[in-house]
Amino acid sequence: MTYQNVPAPVAPEINLGDSFVTTRVDAVVNWGRRNSLWPFPFGTACCAIEFMGIVSSVFDVSRFGAELVRFSPRQADLLIIAGTVTYKQAPVLRRIYEQMCEPRWVISAGACASSGGFYDCYCTVPGIDEIIPVDIYIAGCPPRPEAFLESIVQLQKKIDKESLVEQRTVGI
Amino acid sequence: MIAHRTHVPQGPIQPGLTNEQLATLLGERFALTRDASDRWDLTLVCKAEQLREVVKYLRDEPTLSFAMLLDVVGVDYLAYPGHRSERFAVLYPMKSLAFRHRLVLKVMVDEEACVVPSLCEFYKSVEWAEREAWDQYGIVFAGHPNLKRLLNHHEFVGHPLRKDYPCQKRQKLSMNDPMIDQLEARLRSLGYTILERGETSVGQAITRPSAVPSALPKAGGKP
Amino acid sequence: MKVITPQGEHVDLMTLNVGPSHPATHGTLRILAALDGENIAGCVTEMGYLHRGFEKMIEQGTYSQVLPYTDRLNYCSAMMNNIGFCKAVEKMFAITVPDRCIVVRVILSELSRIIDHMVCTCTNLVDLGALTNFWYFFNTREQVYVIWEKLCGARLTNTMTRIGGMYRDTYHGFEDDVRAVLVKIESAVHEVRGLIEHNKIFIDRTKDVCAVSAADAISWGWTGPCLRASGVDRDLRKDEPYYGYETYNFDTVIGTSGDTFDRIMVRMYEMIESVSIVRQALDRLKPGPINTLDARLSLPSRDQVYHDMEALINSFKLVYEGVRPPAGICYDATEAANGELGYHIISDGGTNPYRVKVRPPCFTQYAAYADMLTGSMLADVASSLGSINIIAGELDR
Ligand code: SF4
Repeated sequence: MTYQNVPAPVAPEINLGDSFVTTRVDAVVNWGRRNSLWPFPFGTACCAIEFMGIVSSVFDVSRFGAELVRFSPRQADLLIIAGTVTYKQAPVLRRIYEQMCEPRWVISAGACASSGGFYDCYCTVPGIDEIIPVDIYIAGCPPRPEAFLESIVQLQKKIDKESLVEQRTVGI
Repeated sequence: MIAHRTHVPQGPIQPGLTNEQLATLLGERFALTRDASDRWDLTLVCKAEQLREVVKYLRDEPTLSFAMLLDVVGVDYLAYPGHRSERFAVLYPMKSLAFRHRLVLKVMVDEEACVVPSLCEFYKSVEWAEREAWDQYGIVFAGHPNLKRLLNHHEFVGHPLRKDYPCQKRQKLSMNDPMIDQLEARLRSLGYTILERGETSVGQAITRPSAVPSALPKAGGKP
Repeated sequence: MKVITPQGEHVDLMTLNVGPSHPATHGTLRILAALDGENIAGCVTEMGYLHRGFEKMIEQGTYSQVLPYTDRLNYCSAMMNNIGFCKAVEKMFAITVPDRCIVVRVILSELSRIIDHMVCTCTNLVDLGALTNFWYFFNTREQVYVIWEKLCGARLTNTMTRIGGMYRDTYHGFEDDVRAVLVKIESAVHEVRGLIEHNKIFIDRTKDVCAVSAADAISWGWTGPCLRASGVDRDLRKDEPYYGYETYNFDTVIGTSGDTFDRIMVRMYEMIESVSIVRQALDRLKPGPINTLDARLSLPSRDQVYHDMEALINSFKLVYEGVRPPAGICYDATEAANGELGYHIISDGGTNPYRVKVRPPCFTQYAAYADMLTGSMLADVASSLGSINIIAGELDR
């Protein structure tokens, strides 16, 4: 058995050249969260029909990475409330919100969800923020599809500013 | 279950009777009178005691054959200018599928008793329509198998479409109706005998009492 | 729960709650079923999750202010609800709207009927797992919405009709747009029919499922496509024609067995009939006034208002108070996409409606739903609910 000359080990990074970047955890995580929102459409009324419109081919919400509609709150991170919420519906909505895992965001679409709309009477909740916290409000009755898309862009901006570390340490 | 007799019309619709002919016919037979406010259609005032008899006749008489009871409409005349008689009324718009005639039966309902006989045994469509009228106006339909609220939630107090119910008086709901009792009643009516209630995931899961919270999470904060 | 069946067996039934927030129940309906294996031994249904006080709200406003609320009854075909309400109020005034208005209303109604049937059919097919049809129909539907936007600016909730006329006349090029969209509709219907009509999975899941006999359908008060699917040839457009429907050449589509398959197919073929009605109506569209000149209903022209005291007063009265139909009880119905849409209006002679009761066509259909399901399989819940086309807006009001 002859002694062979084994090359001295080198630091692995040497061979990698420019193929990696350094960044913050927040930026990576937020990038991922922002671009793959999975919406749960809590559609009750007319606004839900417009929501179906933006999922379909003409407006195509998949351009913004939010096309994977999930009908289980456990698999979704974006709750879109499209339609009027009545007092009869309120416990259901509250429960669905509680079933969603963190991180979760809420978009209130349309006049009814945001403020009760023009149904100001004995049975309608005057804005879902009486029941659950809301991130983005969209105006309109129903909101135009462009407004829906804009709300998703706004939500992405908002997600970008969030910090994983902060959430962990402060515990929110 | 209740036996429902219905004639299925064959062929195209026939002309049928005019409003005047109908009014005379029913006026002679049951002493129904035309309502004072009927200008466009035929509205006949009927006494509550007669109602079931009249409806049965209207449905089963081959020359009339009012096969469909379209709706049960409650009305509260409390704020109606110049109204002197009973406070409530129930309107029963009916139509025939064999003939081209329609009519509306109107029954005045006294505020004290607030009772009208139920028509559930004549038309299947009536059951829910009467529940709705009860829910909205508090008119009791005597003989109804399941007179429960339909549109408003089960903790609602009062009857919102009465003219003295304030439009913006909101009533919160703490938990949804488990409906197990209704399901059991339904199974019983289908011939089942219930031995044991057993585990009902529904009753427990939905009636969790945290439903509408008193303290809200911080709105607008990071969720 | 432990029960003894009518046949005397001891079985253990499982209770299962479906809805109200379930994709197949459109967010607002709830079914509580007792299951024996996969069979539904019995079930009860609940509604009211979208009860938003329509009837209370419209007692607060004037007759014209009712119109936006009617849009939101059946929001898949908002135009037809507007037209139904305006027709009822016009009946109270005993006026007929101008010919051009009538023809435009027919065109808008039939196009609305088409898009309503499209939404109904394709969401039903999505519930059955056939997603492709959804893209076909929604694409075409968007093109109808482009016409709606050009007409009045809104996509879904149009409020295009006014009492005594329309909000405005059609735009230049309306006929061409409609004709172009009709071709698209025909091809979309053709494609979807090609996908489902002989599809074994579709047929197996819908044929003889939740069938409703003609006698039952009548007793339940069903109207519209669902009644016709059970084999009863009744359509208000033929039986009590309004807006000159008796002069159009079209067929009513009827089914034979009243099962889910028939209900879907009746809608499919009705779309084709509606396309033909729209074509005939377009040929009849002649220039002319679109609003009635009746001073009780329509605003005088600006020119008159500036020069004539009477017209000025009338304009003020109409704007500040609104129209005043004579006191009385009026019932008027139109054949909407789902069936007989009736408005029962009680007027006390004032400017606000004293009481308006809508007769929503799907109310009676949903009332029958628990009966339909009894004895069928759990998987039929989704397929049959789609086929009776429950629109929560008009169901719960
Ligand atoms: S905001 Fe308007 S369109 Fe949306 S649910 Fe409310 S009434 Fe309907």
